[in-house]
Amino acid sequence: MSYQTLLDAVIKGDIKTATEETLKAVDAGRNAQDILDQGLIEAMNIVGDKFSKGAIFVPQMLRSAKTMQECVEVLKPHFKENAMTTKGNIVLGTVKGDLHDIGKNLVGMMLEGAGFNIIDLGVDVAPEVFVDKIKEAKADVLGMSALLSTTMPSMPLTIKALADSGLRDTVKVIIGGAPVTRKYAEDIGADSYAPDAGSAVLEAKKLFNLS
Amino acid sequence: MEPGPIPTFQPRLKVLNRRQALAIHTAALEILEKTGIKMEHADSLDMLAGAGGRVFDKDWIRLPAYLAEEALRSAPRQIALYDQLGNKTMPLVDENSFYGTGSDTTFTLDLETGERRRCILADTGNFAKLVDGLENFSFAMSMGNPEDVSKVDYIYVYAFAEMVKNTNKPIVFIADRGEDIAKIYEIACMVAGGEDQLRQKPFLLNYSEAISPLRFPAHVMDRLLFCARKGIPICFPSGSNAGGGAPVTLAGAMAMGIAENLAGLIVHQLAAKGAPFLFGPNVSALDMKSAVVSYGCPEWSLTQAALADMRDEIYGLPIWSFSGASDSKVVDAQAGAEAMFSIITAMLSRCNLIHDNGYLEYGSTSSLEMVTLANELVAMARFFTRGIPVNETTLALDALERVKNAGPQAFFLMDDHTFENFEQALYLPKLLDRSRYDSWEAEGSKDLYTRSNEEAKRILTEHQVTPKDDGVLKEIDDLLKAL
Repeated sequence: MSYQTLLDAVIKGDIKTATEETLKAVDAGRNAQDILDQGLIEAMNIVGDKFSKGAIFVPQMLRSAKTMQECVEVLKPHFKENAMTTKGNIVLGTVKGDLHDIGKNLVGMMLEGAGFNIIDLGVDVAPEVFVDKIKEAKADVLGMSALLSTTMPSMPLTIKALADSGLRDTVKVIIGGAPVTRKYAEDIGADSYAPDAGSAVLEAKKLFNLS
Repeated sequence: MEPGPIPTFQPRLKVLNRRQALAIHTAALEILEKTGIKMEHADSLDMLAGAGGRVFDKDWIRLPAYLAEEALRSAPRQIALYDQLGNKTMPLVDENSFYGTGSDTTFTLDLETGERRRCILADTGNFAKLVDGLENFSFAMSMGNPEDVSKVDYIYVYAFAEMVKNTNKPIVFIADRGEDIAKIYEIACMVAGGEDQLRQKPFLLNYSEAISPLRFPAHVMDRLLFCARKGIPICFPSGSNAGGGAPVTLAGAMAMGIAENLAGLIVHQLAAKGAPFLFGPNVSALDMKSAVVSYGCPEWSLTQAALADMRDEIYGLPIWSFSGASDSKVVDAQAGAEAMFSIITAMLSRCNLIHDNGYLEYGSTSSLEMVTLANELVAMARFFTRGIPVNETTLALDALERVKNAGPQAFFLMDDHTFENFEQALYLPKLLDRSRYDSWEAEGSKDLYTRSNEEAKRILTEHQVTPKDDGVLKEIDDLLKAL
């Protein structure tokens, strides 16, 4: 059985067909992890690629991501002892003082679509809160965003807080947001910089040595 | 009986009928009454609850329509802004339109190298000085968030002081919280000569935003209340952009933006009845590919015209708006096209205070060239909007008769009527090039970007800003040092 119908349904954002196909695959005895990797994540790779090329619009991409999430819910009970393997844990948030989260939410949806586990801390996240949650979630990557150049200085403060708590060597830091530049990322000692949601996925994959 | 002079029809844009306007207004009131707002400022929440609002989930509160109606009744219909020399230069009322720059860009195009680089404080000074020297720019904003200030917590205080030093035109300013706005107010009082003088002749207006959807952070409300109590005029447009902060359909985005604006107005008028408040949210569109809030899109110009119609039909308050901006990264054909589109439509719909002129890259980059170019585009729009005066002089039948009778060599160009009227009758461009090909080539085949660059440089070199009193400047510097 090929996943073609499932792939097409996720790409189209057809939630009904996609969840039915997911169930069919389970009923046909396919392994849940295989359905996730070869069906859902593969579909989102195609969607991400189309989005990066400008072939589809944001709402279409997000609808596919939502379709995937619905399918994951269908799949969850079929993983043995919750043994669903993700590509890694990423903690996300906008930095202290910054209350704007549309861009960060978009990044979260796309990373989830690419198979990462996202712990989204929301907006206005203080350095010590980032540190606590990274410890708790055993996160591999921290993603921070800022919309305003006036709140950007919270980024190096958070990186310093990571260093002070001994986490800096185990956590990679990726930053983004309107005023952030590659040079700024280098200056403050971040590991990576993504100018938009599409490149956030590519950069995250690099950080996890997945590409 | 002598017939009076023929009134001149002034071209006018209207995009909503009365039923549309009322339906959007009703939806905005319904949002306040049924959905409610998230008021994160304790005093404001108490004030709203005391006035009749119903708190329902910690800091969420529903507001009855009569609160909005009352606030609309007590807010003044005219806001007069003065320049820093005490002249009433911006009566924000009726159909008056005033153009100015924007704030908070991260980058600017370097005037010498053309490179896109981080803004520094000197850029804010240059933009203010350029505005001072441009006849069609009425007010200054900071244009940049400078990276070279010593205390980033007070970035807006440094920017305000820099503007005061480089222009005498009115200033629309940004602040972060109660603390820095108080410092800015101190500087403004130094310039005006005291609190009473400033209240009497305000030369500044604050720009603050709620966060769409429906969120009112505490530090934002601190600013709003400060302005209300000190009588500093304020605009309070949330970024209810279609598809991002608000529903993707323009009517819904407007209704939500208006609800947010009215919620701000209610608190504002409860704190200080009659304090000056500029109407209008920012209803742009989120780009469906890049997820940036567009500054060159037709949607924003359309919603602005619609909000102006709603002012006419319902609100009666002076209205805030934007124009002269672009999503292009450079000053190119896209930048020119988008800037002209919003400049002419803002004027044709009679928006009052029109900011952001000179933005590139969806508001992330500022450009002195773009400001200089916008100055010319505003002049074109003004010419167009003035309409066609029809009277004996402009019908010019006597000139025609003269030229006809003067023989085959006569032509209008040499007639006295042309000499006497051409400066009013025709638009005379400064930056836009109409020279013959050979002379354009001989001048160096310069495109509009190059000519705007040279003109900006010329103004920055030659224009003299009437200097402030040395004592005032020293007071300001002492305040900055003590930050």
